Amino acid sequence: MMNVLLKSTSFKDKRILGILIFVAVSLIIARITPDALTYIIGLTYLFIILAVSWDIIVGYAGQINLGHTVFVGIGAYTTALLQVPSRFQGTFFEFLSEMPRIPIFASIFFGGIVAGIVGFLIGVITLRLRGWYFALVTAILPLVFIETTIIGSGVFGGEEGFSVGLERALAPTSLGKYYIALALMLVSVTTMFMIVNSRVGLKFKAVREDFYLAESVGINTVNYKVLAFVISSFFAGITGAAIVHYRSTVSPGLYDIPLMLLIILAAVIGGLGTILGPIVGGFIVYLTRYWWLKGAISAFTIAGLPINDDIILYMILIALAILAPEGLWVRVRRFVSET
Amino acid sequence: MIELLMRILVYGATLSGIYALIASGFTLIFGVSRIMNFAHGAFFILGAYFGIALIHGIGLNPYLSTIISILMVGLLAAAMYKSIISPVREHEVMVIIVTLAFALIVEQVILLTFGEHGISFPSVIEGVVIVGTVLIPSMRLFVLAVAIIALIMLWTFIGKTRLGKEITAASQDAEAAMLIGLDVGRLLIVTVFISAILAALGGVLYAQVYAANPFIILKSLIFAFAIVILGGLGSVKGSIIASFIVGYILTAMIVLYGARWSELVALLIIIAILVLRPAGLLGAKEL
Amino acid sequence: MSKRKISRREYLKYAAAGVIVAAGAIGGYAAWQSTRKPLEKDEIIIGVLAPMATRQGSVQRDAAALAIEEINAAGGILGVPVKMVVGDDKLDPDAAVSEFRRLVTVENADVLTGGYSSGIMAATMEPMAELKTVFLADASSPAHPAKVAEDYEKYKYWFRITQNNGASFAFDMADMIDMLREKGVPVDKIYIIRDEHVWADDVEKFFNPLLTERNVEVVKNVKIPRGYTEYEPLIIEAHDLGAQVILPIVALSGTGDVLAKHWATLKLPVLLAGHDLAALDLGFWEKTEGACNYYIFIADGGVVQTAPPTAMCANFIENYKYKYGNPPEAHQGYGAYDAVYLYKMVIEEATKAGEANPLDSDTVVKYLEKTATLENPVELTRNIAFYPPGDENKWDHDLAWGDKYVRNLISEWIDGKWYEIWPEDKANAELKLPPWFK
Repeated sequence: MMNVLLKSTSFKDKRILGILIFVAVSLIIARITPDALTYIIGLTYLFIILAVSWDIIVGYAGQINLGHTVFVGIGAYTTALLQVPSRFQGTFFEFLSEMPRIPIFASIFFGGIVAGIVGFLIGVITLRLRGWYFALVTAILPLVFIETTIIGSGVFGGEEGFSVGLERALAPTSLGKYYIALALMLVSVTTMFMIVNSRVGLKFKAVREDFYLAESVGINTVNYKVLAFVISSFFAGITGAAIVHYRSTVSPGLYDIPLMLLIILAAVIGGLGTILGPIVGGFIVYLTRYWWLKGAISAFTIAGLPINDDIILYMILIALAILAPEGLWVRVRRFVSET
Repeated sequence: MIELLMRILVYGATLSGIYALIASGFTLIFGVSRIMNFAHGAFFILGAYFGIALIHGIGLNPYLSTIISILMVGLLAAAMYKSIISPVREHEVMVIIVTLAFALIVEQVILLTFGEHGISFPSVIEGVVIVGTVLIPSMRLFVLAVAIIALIMLWTFIGKTRLGKEITAASQDAEAAMLIGLDVGRLLIVTVFISAILAALGGVLYAQVYAANPFIILKSLIFAFAIVILGGLGSVKGSIIASFIVGYILTAMIVLYGARWSELVALLIIIAILVLRPAGLLGAKEL
Repeated sequence: MSKRKISRREYLKYAAAGVIVAAGAIGGYAAWQSTRKPLEKDEIIIGVLAPMATRQGSVQRDAAALAIEEINAAGGILGVPVKMVVGDDKLDPDAAVSEFRRLVTVENADVLTGGYSSGIMAATMEPMAELKTVFLADASSPAHPAKVAEDYEKYKYWFRITQNNGASFAFDMADMIDMLREKGVPVDKIYIIRDEHVWADDVEKFFNPLLTERNVEVVKNVKIPRGYTEYEPLIIEAHDLGAQVILPIVALSGTGDVLAKHWATLKLPVLLAGHDLAALDLGFWEKTEGACNYYIFIADGGVVQTAPPTAMCANFIENYKYKYGNPPEAHQGYGAYDAVYLYKMVIEEATKAGEANPLDSDTVVKYLEKTATLENPVELTRNIAFYPPGDENKWDHDLAWGDKYVRNLISEWIDGKWYEIWPEDKANAELKLPPWFK
């Protein structure tokens, strides 16, 4: 019966079927998982948006962005400050402290807008050059961002950040947050999927595959790279903002190198330039890091070997990059479709 | 005022010299191979840690342990190139990812074995000298001298020796170099080896004036980036000039304006320069 | 073709079976969990959440394990055995928050102890509030008790047990200046080098009036970023400006070793005395190659092994040495050890008072407030008391500072050893000034 169903449906229908199954499973599973796991899976959905949005600029437009977490952070602080404008009191920006409170979903969206604008400015400066400068400049951004939040501690709260309050959470319970995260993930990923499969997306790929050819057929490569960067930053910003209301707190440590590496790991495991790959990669990486990989490694440290979870993750990353540079997920899919 | 300037001049020079050692190697590898070696910061500080381990572990003197340690780092770098960079060389993104992952593994291993706090490399020279009215630790002058000698040696090697000239040729046009029969793969390993040795020497010198700690891996890497962006990717001369610019901006900020903003301002100035001169001071235009 | 179909069908079958089994297992687990009643506990579970790769984290785990072992050997808490569960926050706020939730909702921890980084503490206070779990915590930021003060009902589960509020360093450093003056060092100009961090702002809020009272002039106040290393220009400047003391208020910049080294290299006639977290490390002498000689600093946590303040403390150090082969690696160990014993006391008190549910977090908070009071501090490895809700400085539930309670002692590195030099009744060495200080 199932077999007949599968056989009779076209590829596109199957994809929709896949999504429906995924949504159904997601909705049900949250009812039976313990609260802490529900909470983590919700965060995993948000993390998936980060991995997919990173894939837009790296996998599709071929520009190596090492500062993606900065845009996550910009979105996060934007919404946090919009919700707690009193932080501006006693600073140069005092006038902002009287801002009217806007609904949290509006301020989450605004977080994305601000991240997109910053992405535009940085993109215009750096994307005129070939990829390497972009990689280096974006690698510097996290340090600039974190030092800014620390020097401006009056507003940004320094290393501790600040709390936006449980009353401004996405939802009062973990389950509620989980559903909102799921919805946000579905909307964002679908939007990004549609973008990369549109004519614009094809041009991104043209820019990535052959810079000179793209130029010669009249594609303004800089404009498309900047566009890809703005889209990628926008979704990073929205997600960062959503995470603030998920956790009820914001602090610079959340947007530092460890998160950047997890994003890279997720996209690499899944396969760059595939959208679906980073989704699978995001699931595996985030849940492994924050749920499954607990104490499994402490056996090594007890034996006196200098090994911890992070080292294992980075080793896996290197091994994958060498053995399956096109992504593990792509391999698995190929394997499945061949059998 | 003159004293302040003297202070900036002398103190800035040490920092700049150390930066130049790390940045010139980074840019040299890039020039020859278009590889962005994000593990360069790891080589920098491993020079110091290997040296410290040799001194405390088997009681070698600081000079001998420095030599052994930088050679060890050079070999490690060559091995790293062979084992993990070479297989993914064609894949720009993967090169960055594997070298960054390597750097972070080194960081974690150092954290687990040596801890998060700084460890000092025993100074080979103690005491202070007074130049005019400026008080300067002798070690700083020594470090500056060693850094300058090493850079001159690098310069001579690239400009005067056959191997060096081949490396220059390969960095200008790898395909043409291959056509005239140069073994670019071998040249690349030599370049990686030399660059890692320079970085490791920088690390040893750094740990003598300051201290080795695991977080310097990423910090030195970020400053190396800033310097090569400023100097122009692939240009060794540009990176040396830029090292001194960055070193002096930092020191001048500290002496004249305060430590607080120094790093942030230095990085912002570099990004600002990039707006005006997108390819850096001496960078090739077509990049 | 047909082969392919079969294999896919097989595959789906197995997958479906797998999903059903997994769902069943999770469902069964959830059902089992919901039928448990806290009072019918067959064990009391204490969670330790700290960065296990650092000595400040692992010492908390080891000290708590020791306390639990001792308590179980003596019959547990009211006959119920105690179990420890461990979480590693990896100095990563995400890991910390998820580990907090895991320890409470999966491992069913009744109470948590641990912490280290202030930033991570601030993040973990959110799941703490949501899950209503008592957290006997480390870290030193005044921002944490301020949260309790601002929203008591929400954050009341937080108590600081390991060390004093960082702002209290102001009192210790004022005492340090008095001590130096008493010993004949004329201190009227100081040069402050401090972390670019809110915690140092809080120290200064209390410190500045104390300096004014003492007619001490701050010739310059330099804020340094994390990982800062260019200390030589600052030391020379301090000397040029006529300061007798360079007073560091640094913890997070993490480069106190470089400061000591540069100070020892330049040998200018100016003392180095203040708070520097890096100096509080038994390996500091080796790490700085002896450059820290004559470094005067505030010993955090109120304990130095050479001068344990209570009998229980001496006992703890002995037992720790016996079990692990070395004394506690960091002062956080005293806090974790105290946390376990204090929790035991409080549960016993609550049960004795006839509380229906002595393990309930709200009850535990009530009895923590009742048991370790300013009037009657509890003598553990240190004398523990908490400031009551409504504290004038917003130090609600913070570890009480003072000679009667916990305070920081003034220490000095002298010829390879960490000595206590003040207060006199706890000192085991005399202040020794560097030979180049005239």
